[in-house]
Amino acid sequence: MPTTASPIIAALEGATKAYGAHRVLDGFDFALEAGSITALLGPNGAGKSTVAGLLTGRLCADAGRVQLFGLDPADQRARARMGIMLQAGGLPETLTVAEALDLHAGYFARRLPTAAVLEQAGLSALAGRRCDRLSGGEARKVQFALAIAGAPDLLVLDEPTTGFDPDSRRAMWDVVRGKAEAGAAVLLATHHMDEAEALADRIVVIAGGRIIADGSPFAIKAAVAATVIRLRTRQPADRFRALPGVVKVETVGADLALLTTAPRASLEAALALDPAIQDFGVTGASLEEALANLVQSNRTAALKEAA
Amino acid sequence: MMTTALIPSPMPVYARESWAEIVKSARMPQFIIPTIALPPAFYALFALAMGQGSAEAATRTLATFGVFAVMGPALFGFGANIAAERESGQLELKRLSPMPAGAQIVAKVAATTVFSMIAFMLLYALGIAGGVALTPAQWAMLVGVHTLAIIPFALIGLGIGYRLGQKGAIAVANIVFLAMAVLGGLWMPIAVLPEAMKTIAWALPSYHLGEMALMAAGQREASNLWLHAGPLALITLAAALFAWTGEKAQAR
Repeated sequence: MPTTASPIIAALEGATKAYGAHRVLDGFDFALEAGSITALLGPNGAGKSTVAGLLTGRLCADAGRVQLFGLDPADQRARARMGIMLQAGGLPETLTVAEALDLHAGYFARRLPTAAVLEQAGLSALAGRRCDRLSGGEARKVQFALAIAGAPDLLVLDEPTTGFDPDSRRAMWDVVRGKAEAGAAVLLATHHMDEAEALADRIVVIAGGRIIADGSPFAIKAAVAATVIRLRTRQPADRFRALPGVVKVETVGADLALLTTAPRASLEAALALDPAIQDFGVTGASLEEALANLVQSNRTAALKEAA
Repeated sequence: MMTTALIPSPMPVYARESWAEIVKSARMPQFIIPTIALPPAFYALFALAMGQGSAEAATRTLATFGVFAVMGPALFGFGANIAAERESGQLELKRLSPMPAGAQIVAKVAATTVFSMIAFMLLYALGIAGGVALTPAQWAMLVGVHTLAIIPFALIGLGIGYRLGQKGAIAVANIVFLAMAVLGGLWMPIAVLPEAMKTIAWALPSYHLGEMALMAAGQREASNLWLHAGPLALITLAAALFAWTGEKAQAR
């Protein structure tokens, strides 16, 4: 984590965006700092892609201020410092990988040499292959190569490693980390919690158009203090829902998994409920479980507020 | 300023984009063969083989078929191509890049011009072989009219491509392509058409361009030029509006 205040790369101030009558964002504040990898997480429709769309100038805010490198995101000078990997990024079918990359890199004055980009994206062996003859994962690598080709100060990645094998995935993560260490800001939208956990040094959770958590992956997990208790019981699952600290009960194979914020109290109550319990285990929750818990409790709080 | 060094000088970008567009299309045989080979093939069949060696018929048909030859690359190159690139997200990525806004259009116009020129040069070669004899000034004017034809058709293609998906754009471009050719009198003079259809011709750029091409080739009285150049200018303006509003509808 950067210790000194890093320059702001991009920011939303009081941004509002509605689709028809549906307000996705309402007075939303958010900023991205140089040298940091920020993951945007949240359920579908929470406003993640709207936030990314506003910052990159793909969408226009109805109200509020949006700035990219201190400029309007539509400004060519701002765009010259940004590299984007879209979720549905088609490629020019009949051009080769090297031709497509060379063409795109040419839009940027600070472009990296094509050979270096191919190497970083793990595409050196595919330079002469036509884009319509690539596998899904290979095409994603080309889109990543296009995103880094202009040596961007802001790298926006939307579901970057979909369709990747584990080795390619780790290789891309290493390159992304390297870009952040060299001072770039990275905005990552992903559904893969392990990706966010492995890569991001800041996680921003959005639900219902609001930021409900913002911190390091460790801090997010600590904030919800989520623990999972797995146990084997003959008692019905419903009876465990009411135990102290338990926020969620799931059936996992022959076991029950209790997500709890008070592991000790929950475990004692569970053992009291069914003294016959022999097998149980206690583990820290994954980021995914912590998030589910967070989104759930936020929803409950919102309902209470509304009532 | 540091920021000025971020944008490359635009000319090489335009040139590279244009070259890429030409290469992309040239590698699509399904695009290149029908658009370039069809007009000369039709010309050889209808004007030369069936026209029984009349130099006058060969000249008249050459003038109107030249307009026909431009329509394919312009309507399909813009319409279907833009729709496909929009659907696949390529257009979006370019729009979010620092690429100069005009580069995409300039590149497509360049590619359309190259392929149209190949098509009507093939026609001219066949025409000369079939007995067409024009003065250098007439040839120059004919090339001018045929090149001018790219503009309205490209704009119509652009408007279609911005509004429809790839499949829809191809279907609509085909209908427009055939209607322009037949009702615009490019295949046969509109004199043979029913009265109601002759009126429609006045709203079609293909009709006015065909008549202007006939004037260039000395087959019509050139004093009527404004009778066709005027409506053509209006139609082109409307086509530009059609393309521009389609582009605007993309922005969110």
